[in-house]
This record gives sequence, C-alpha cells and structure tokens, in this order.
Amino acid sequence: MGRYSKLYLYFLRFSFSRAMEFRLDFFFRIVMDTVYYAVHIIFFGVIYGHTSMVGGWNFDQVLIFMCGFFLVDALHMTVHANNLWALPEYVNKGHLDYYLIRPVSSLFFLSHRDFAANSFVNLIIAASMLIWAILRYPGEFSPLQIMVFLGLLLNGAYLYWLIHMCFVIPVFWTHSAHGFQMLFYSLKQFAERPDPIFQGLMRRTLTTILPFLLIASYPARILFEGLNTTILIHSGLVSLGLTIFLLWFWNKALRSYSSASS
Amino acid sequence: MTLLFFKIVNLELRKQMSYRVDFWVNTVVSFFAAMGVMYFLWDAIFTASETEIIGGYSQKEMILYYVLVILIAKLVRGSNQMTGIAGDIYTGELTKYHLFPTPYLTFKYAEHLGSLLPALIQLVLFGALSPFIFAFPDSLNITPLSIITCANVVLLANLLFFTLTLPLQLVAFWADNVWSLVVMNHFISGLLGGAMLPLELFPDWARTVLNFTPFAYLYHFPVRILTGHIQAEQIWIGVGVMICWIIILSAGSWFIWRKGNKLYTGVGI
Repeated sequence: MGRYSKLYLYFLRFSFSRAMEFRLDFFFRIVMDTVYYAVHIIFFGVIYGHTSMVGGWNFDQVLIFMCGFFLVDALHMTVHANNLWALPEYVNKGHLDYYLIRPVSSLFFLSHRDFAANSFVNLIIAASMLIWAILRYPGEFSPLQIMVFLGLLLNGAYLYWLIHMCFVIPVFWTHSAHGFQMLFYSLKQFAERPDPIFQGLMRRTLTTILPFLLIASYPARILFEGLNTTILIHSGLVSLGLTIFLLWFWNKALRSYSSASS
Repeated sequence: MTLLFFKIVNLELRKQMSYRVDFWVNTVVSFFAAMGVMYFLWDAIFTASETEIIGGYSQKEMILYYVLVILIAKLVRGSNQMTGIAGDIYTGELTKYHLFPTPYLTFKYAEHLGSLLPALIQLVLFGALSPFIFAFPDSLNITPLSIITCANVVLLANLLFFTLTLPLQLVAFWADNVWSLVVMNHFISGLLGGAMLPLELFPDWARTVLNFTPFAYLYHFPVRILTGHIQAEQIWIGVGVMICWIIILSAGSWFIWRKGNKLYTGVGI
C-alpha cells in the first residue's frame, strides 16, 4: 500500500508540472467544465419553468443531485478520464508492453498514471457548487446524512470508473480508436437524470448491470428520504459485483493481448 | 477541383465505415440511450404537470421532436471531425496539406461532408423504424416540400456548424490543445440550438435573443421546418441569418488562418 501511495505521489508531481507547461489548455479546460455545469443547470431551470416536480423531485432537490453528479464527474475527469482515453492507443500501438512489465498492478498503473491537474480546479468548483446547493436547500440534513451522502458519492465515482473501464476494455478485441467509449458517453446521460423517472426493465438494468443511477441519484435519495439501508446494501453489492467482473474482464483482455501494433 | 473534392468525400466516407462493429453498436445504442433518457424524462414531466401541452408540444409531439433532433443533429455535426484541424496544426501534419493541389480548408470541409454517411444511414434507418417504436402524433405535417426544404437547410446548417467550429480549432496556432474549446461549443450549441430542449420552452426574451445567434438555426430550425411549423417567410429570414453568420464566421476564420499561418513553423510535437 505504501509503495502504491508513493507511486501515486510521483504521478501527481509529474502531472502538475506538465499541466503548468500548457497554461492556456489549463484555462480552457476549467472554462469547459464550468460551461458543462451551467448548461445542465439551465437545462433543468428551463424544465422547472414548466413544471414544479420531475419524478417527485423539486428544483432544489435536482440541484443537489446535479451538483453531486458534477463532483463525481470532476473526480473522474481528474483522476481517471485521461488514462482511459489513452488506453486504446497503448493497446493498438503495442505500447502496453511497457506497463505490463512493471512490478505494480497494470490496472492500477494504467488507470492512475495521468492525474489531470487542470481538472483539479474543476473539482474544487464542483465541490463548492455542491456546498452551495446544500446550503440553499430549504430543509435540513443531519451530519450523518451528509456523511453517508458523500460516502455514496465516492462510491459513485468508483462505479463511474468501473463502468467506463468496462467500455474501454473491448478495444483489446476490436482494435478500434476508442473502444466503446462513445457508447459509454451516450449511456452516461442516464446518470445525469433523477432515478425516480425511470421505471420497469429500464430501471432494473440501470440499477444493476449498468448501474448509472447509483452514481449520483441514489446518494441524493439519502438526503431526501433519510438514511436507507437498502440503498447502502444495494450500492455496496453492485460495486463489489462490478469489481469482480472488471478484474475478470481485465485479465481475460490481457490474455488476448498480442503485443503486435495495428 | 470538383472531382478532387468528391474524391476526398468518398475517401472519408469509406474511412468512417471501416470499424463496422463499432459503428453499428454505437449507432443503435447511442440512439436508443438518447431517446430512452428523453422519453422517461418527458413522461415524468407530463405526468407531474397534469397538462397535455407544454411549450406548445403534446407528449407525442415532444417525442417526435426528439427523434428528429437526435437524427438531424448527427447530420449537422458530422462525425468525429471535432479536432482534426487543430490536430494537424499541433502535430505539424498541416505541412503535408500545403503541398496538396487543393486548399486545406476545402479539403477539410470535404472530409467533414464525407463523414456524414453514417449519420445519413442512421436517419433513414431510425426514421423508418421510429414510428413503430414510439407513439407519434396522429396527424403529421411532414410533406415532400418540407422534406426538401429541410434537406437544404440541413446542408446549410452543416456548413454553419463547420464555420462555427473552425475558428475554435484554428486557435491551435497559439494554444497546444483546443479540444476543450470545441467540446464547449458542443455543449453550448446543444442547449441553445434545441438539441437538449425545444427552444419554445425558453422564456420569450431568451428566444428573441437566440433568433439573432447562429445556434437557433443548427438543430431546432431544420426540425421545425420538417414538421411544417415554420412559414415560408420565416424560413427565408432564417436562411438569411444563417448565411450572414456563415459569412461572418468564415471571414473571422480566414483572418485567424492568415495570422496563424505566419506563426506556423511546421515542427509539430
């Protein structure tokens, strides 16, 4: 564990020094994510101009949910996204060899080596927005509710990485430019909407096999519906199941990796 | 020159279809994911608001709007040409194009057009399937004339989107990575262009402002023409605004291109 922490500190140091070399890009990325947040808040703002509830949630509740999602997304963009974007190129060009021979977990190394320092600022912005959304909420939350909510958001960020990774790994077989990442970004829209709007088979799928609704919407329900052990157990079990699946899938993918570039 | 232009279109078209598994999986899932999200969201909104009409749309009209806007937006945006020009500048690939017998930006627009075939396939496929999957309004105002008018406006909207993205990509002469700018344009045009919401849902003052921007004519305008909701006079005014923006943005791009080319060293990374 100590060895991995030390390694991660090296990743951070390299990433920050690299980010400082591209200052304009640093600035552009902050603006881009801020625009992304604004677009989604305006989207719901316009919708709530025509209705008072969506899936039983009012605007204040949706605002907390969305800000929770922004925090998860910013965490993912900061810690994992760059790495997952680069993985298909390593596989297709045969560069993966350099990472497989290192004496650390290849999954850990390839998922964490590039820390997006420019997105780190957005992480602070997203966290500030979440605090603002919670403070302006007309009701009150207990400290325990907030702690569980934040814990589940962290679990949501972990699930986000697990799902994204599952959509990148097929590149070992398809050898396409991005794996199925475009598909992941299409499906990600489900995580950006409150879970009560989804019903039937769609809801079951989005809370089990493709658990997008567990990323930010389920955590938000802890605030609005009170502490709910079902949500905690459900989130824990799905995370565990998906972790086991990802490890199996990753090992299977590595076994089929031929090292030959294409 | 024209022959060369169409050869580039053809080449790009074949390139786009080279990863077939990816293409079909992405095509089918991304369409149904986008429609699934919109369907459930609007179903919840109509149920909660206890009204049959929101912003002038019934629930069936809203679904029809989203089917059309998702498909038409793909035609307007093309596929994956978002940072091609910026990439050429950044890597020094641009030097190669200076030797080609066709102007670089014409070459890139031909590539952009060539990337439309997948979107066209999706339009035909899902356009034909959707009436059997989703509940559409009982009476549709889609006529041969509205289809032809819409097709022409989509072509113009495609050029408008290209000219809107172009100056952002040309910033690559000064910045190392302009991907964020292009994605930002994608977010803004999605919201203000009607891809996320019909523009009728915006407050009146916002709609008045939007009518002067290029965004309102990218997705919402062609869809409303297709469904027969825009009168001939308004179509001509809209087309006029689009042409004005294309000229303004092209002139701006040309200016940036000239300035940037003076700085360009061709070294790349």
